Amino acid sequence: MVVATGEQDGAFGRPQVLELVRGSLADILEVGPDTIAEGASFTDLGADSLALIELVEALEKDLGGRFAGFRIDDEDLEDLKTVRDAVDYVVSKTGTSS
Amino acid sequence: MVEILDGLPVAVDAMGGDRAPVEIVTGARQAAQELGIPVLLVGDPAYLSTLAPQPGVDILAASEVIGMDEDPGRAVRVKRDSSLVRCAEAVREGRACAMVSAGNTGAAMASALLRIGRLPGVSRPAIATVIPVPGSTPTILIDSGANVDCTAPMLVQFAQMGWALATERFGIREPRVGVLSIGEEATKGNALVKEAHVLLEGGAAGPDVHFIGNVEGRDVMSDRVDVVVTDGFTGNVVLKTLEGGVKAVVGGVLSALTADAAIKEAAKAVLPALTPLANELDPDTYGGAVLLGVEGVCVISHGSSGARAILNAVKVAHHAAADKLVARIEAVIASGRA
Repeated sequence: MVVATGEQDGAFGRPQVLELVRGSLADILEVGPDTIAEGASFTDLGADSLALIELVEALEKDLGGRFAGFRIDDEDLEDLKTVRDAVDYVVSKTGTSS
Repeated sequence: MVEILDGLPVAVDAMGGDRAPVEIVTGARQAAQELGIPVLLVGDPAYLSTLAPQPGVDILAASEVIGMDEDPGRAVRVKRDSSLVRCAEAVREGRACAMVSAGNTGAAMASALLRIGRLPGVSRPAIATVIPVPGSTPTILIDSGANVDCTAPMLVQFAQMGWALATERFGIREPRVGVLSIGEEATKGNALVKEAHVLLEGGAAGPDVHFIGNVEGRDVMSDRVDVVVTDGFTGNVVLKTLEGGVKAVVGGVLSALTADAAIKEAAKAVLPALTPLANELDPDTYGGAVLLGVEGVCVISHGSSGARAILNAVKVAHHAAADKLVARIEAVIASGRA
């Protein structure tokens, strides 16, 4: 079960999750965050399967401090096709307000 | 960046490969004994603890094994105590100067990428394979299978990383770098090749990388070029075609030389002269391919590797670590503008 630890201050909603996903993906793909549209598919962005695993590990690391036990299930990975899918998944899993 | 310390062992995935653990362990132990390179055998403690103690050989227990047919990314995430993952962690934590595995290639890549880490500035790591060139310095083929879909800037980085390996591995001062195409002219090739050609011609790989233009498939095993750059799909097709072709020709020559008793007798005079050539063409001589673009040295050996291939892989890995291959790549990537 994912539990908010309350260790972080400040609002954390969907916009922050989107920013986090875009930033992580930008680091992995060595591109600017501005080039990553919310509706873009991972395929179109050039993210292969290993890049997606990198993204998953980065998100788990970044969100682990705020939401104890946060983990992206490997079975769910196949359903994440776009940046929006990933953001929606994190929002849903953490109970973050939209 | 992982600091290479004197005396650090090469971590060897004892459980990876079709002939693991016996052949892998034998090759690693030979490397320690014959070359004086310390090794860290990583794998099943129940098996490794039965080995006779040997100077320069240490053991790191890992309870799991990633199979050859497992999904790479998932396996690395789930099997956190696998020999492959533990090898990569040993490099990251500074307990080993390099890693060698003959196991699942994709999982070796994923382990290195996720546990050692990607070099800053590198878009995607690539696999560089040494292609023998009879009578000359081998050619480096990059990418030989890591990235099936590539962009032109990725090919520019492959050129840089291949260049760095050619300077480190073979001591070539000005390696000649070419892009694999269907003709030498800049106008030949698909959109990816044409765009990469323009970027490399314009100096995107930095001032040190000597771009000689397009090269063709026939040039790969010639002394015309030192580094052949291509996407991972094409590179893997080229690699497997060459392996199959060389194997067929060598097999055909051996059959012809043993066709009947008279020829076999006459061949005794020729065979000694052919032995060095056969060794030169044997992939085991080169130990394995090198994964470039991660923050450590990772040598990926053929799944069918025997003791000799592993011994040579350990040698290659240790040499690359001692020669600071990763720092060379970091420097050449920083000098470019891909």
